Amino acid sequence: MVYNINMKVKTKLYLILALFVVLILIALPREDKIFSALGLKDAALKVRLGLDLQGGASLTYQADLSKIPSAEKAKAIDGVINVINKRVNPSGTSEVVVQTSGSDRVAVQLPGIKDIDQAIGTIGKTAQLTFLSIGPDNIPEATDLSGNDLESANADIDTQSSKPVVSFQMKSSAVQKFADLTKKINKENGRLLIILDNEPLFNGTVSTPITDGKGQMQGFKDIKDAQETAVLLNAGALPVPISLVEQRAVGATLGQESIQKSLLAGLIGLVSVLIFMIAYYRLAGLVAGAALVIYALLTIDIFKLSGITQSPIVLTLAGIAGFILSIGMAVDANILIFERMKEEVRDGNSVQAGMEAGFKRAWTSIRDSNISTLITCLILYLSGIPIIKGFAVTLGIGVLVSMFTAITISKTFMQAVVQTKIGQKPSSYRIKGVEDEK
Amino acid sequence: MNIVGRRKLWFSISILLILPGTIALLVWGLKPGIDFTGGQEMEIAGDIGQSELSELVSKAGVKDITVTTSGGDRLIVRYSDKDAGESQQLRQNISALLKQKNLQETSFSSVGPSISRDITARALLGVGLASIAILLYVAFAFRNTPPPVSPWSFGATAIIALLHDALFLLGIFAILGHFFGIQVDALFVTAVLTVIGFSVHDTIVVYDRIRENLRRHNKPFEEIVNISINETLARSLNTSITVIIVLLAFFMFGGESIRYFVLALLIGIISGTYSSIFNASPLLVVYNNWKIKKSKGNDKSKGNDKSK
Repeated sequence: MVYNINMKVKTKLYLILALFVVLILIALPREDKIFSALGLKDAALKVRLGLDLQGGASLTYQADLSKIPSAEKAKAIDGVINVINKRVNPSGTSEVVVQTSGSDRVAVQLPGIKDIDQAIGTIGKTAQLTFLSIGPDNIPEATDLSGNDLESANADIDTQSSKPVVSFQMKSSAVQKFADLTKKINKENGRLLIILDNEPLFNGTVSTPITDGKGQMQGFKDIKDAQETAVLLNAGALPVPISLVEQRAVGATLGQESIQKSLLAGLIGLVSVLIFMIAYYRLAGLVAGAALVIYALLTIDIFKLSGITQSPIVLTLAGIAGFILSIGMAVDANILIFERMKEEVRDGNSVQAGMEAGFKRAWTSIRDSNISTLITCLILYLSGIPIIKGFAVTLGIGVLVSMFTAITISKTFMQAVVQTKIGQKPSSYRIKGVEDEK
Repeated sequence: MNIVGRRKLWFSISILLILPGTIALLVWGLKPGIDFTGGQEMEIAGDIGQSELSELVSKAGVKDITVTTSGGDRLIVRYSDKDAGESQQLRQNISALLKQKNLQETSFSSVGPSISRDITARALLGVGLASIAILLYVAFAFRNTPPPVSPWSFGATAIIALLHDALFLLGIFAILGHFFGIQVDALFVTAVLTVIGFSVHDTIVVYDRIRENLRRHNKPFEEIVNISINETLARSLNTSITVIIVLLAFFMFGGESIRYFVLALLIGIISGTYSSIFNASPLLVVYNNWKIKKSKGNDKSKGNDKSK
């Protein structure tokens, strides 16, 4: 009877082995190599880290929607998001995330940002562009041109004066208006004044009417100043006023330190739990340990795979705590089963029958208790407080995965183990008061 | 082990343990952090003492500064800047002062009043909703329980055990807040809710066994409860031990940022283990005995001796 494991269990063991190989491949840091070998070029999997772990800043803005009719509120928020996005991420290449937070707030995530003050300065600008025509009598006159009429703006160094300038191009719809305006100013011998919020960007005479809609603004401190202005002009004005209501910044070193310490703590915790389980449950503890390893791999894989979906799981420090806590829950399922199994064996059942009954009987406890934890997770998630959501997601996933590993992985391993010679002895599980059968 | 029989002892221990914290909670209350009050918080690393740092930061023109330790070798400066938002003047002033002394600003948070109101409301709503949902769920899960106990008594006693754990945890943090300036933040609410979830999780396992034993044995209710507690004792303790092991590892090696959060979880889980063994199930017996007495009082002609 040494390795006489029946076929059904054997097949399941092979399936678990296959699952294990796949899980390992995904969990390893270099899985992108494998994916590119399979022809999936863009499928780089990475556990998404929150700003508290990778360093960076998150800013929350309150949009003032009091003057916007309720039907257009969503549109106004979309407009704010669009403008902020163009301002903080003009090239579209950085990992900045701008999204709604509640109905009237916008959250801006700036990973790895160094100069928060500059970002706050850029985002907060209204960027209202005004074109004024100043007549010979020095009285400014409003025009119907605005920032919306700009097609594009580019910062550059003027080749003749070697000073920073911003050249702009009017939209085709506004070229004629701009031509008419400059013609009028030129004729009246007046001046054109272009103002961004309170800053004049152009103040001078117009030597020839501009008919191609191209122009140049000067008077910038340096090229950086010109570039910032170009970004603001391209992004356009904010549709509604916004104000900064929350700001959280974590330095990259603190984030790095948090990751390292959490990993160390997690590892120490996991190994200690394994030692405890093996000391207390012997062979069954070993099985729980193996199931726990698969559980940990599976959870990491879910985190990684979520990265290619619409709603990636972002791992935060609180999220790591949720994951760690779910290790405890995962072990709990095994403990429930093993304690049940011990009882059944003490009641006179064989190890094998006791094991099967243990799984069956422990199931209602596992189900009922885990559902109550899942309810808590759901409510925590719905609270909408970001730090709490991060915790709820990882704890919830951990609980679900642990239920799966306890009833499939642990059970298959146990079914295999009880068919071995050593696995048939009650003493191999530290079941006291029962003699080993000869 | 006769746990149910000595229930008065266990209840007394609980009351003795909860009382100081509850008084602290009533007299001093919890120290709410910037998540709930709004304000600014800065974590600083470097070689400087608490009072020295307080003096340094006050040069920036900040009033109402408090400096506490972060639970490790970092210091936390808290202040209230009403004109925060876009004008980062005060923070920039402080940063400049810190740079001069070679101190490092490792993190900074600024929470406006509208956000803190929002977090407070959502946190309270969360705690309330979670408690109701758990009561309904426990009553639902135990809807098929054979007499003499009603499904609602399972829910109600589970809630009492849960309040026990929440009160114990809140009380300890009220004491810590008063003497060590430890504040509670949004994460603390998470800890409370998790402890509530764990407490019920633990209680349900025992209740599950009571329900099963009610079907299997024809013994007095009190005895069945006692058998059930004893049968699940090893499981309750072992599960708690594993959770405590991982949390302890985190408390010792997991860094400062979530040290108090882990501490809250540790306190709550230890309390939850105690309450599910020594409070929740014995309370079921108390509740049941009280109901029998009541029905006997109402109807003396009918002797209700089913569970006696």
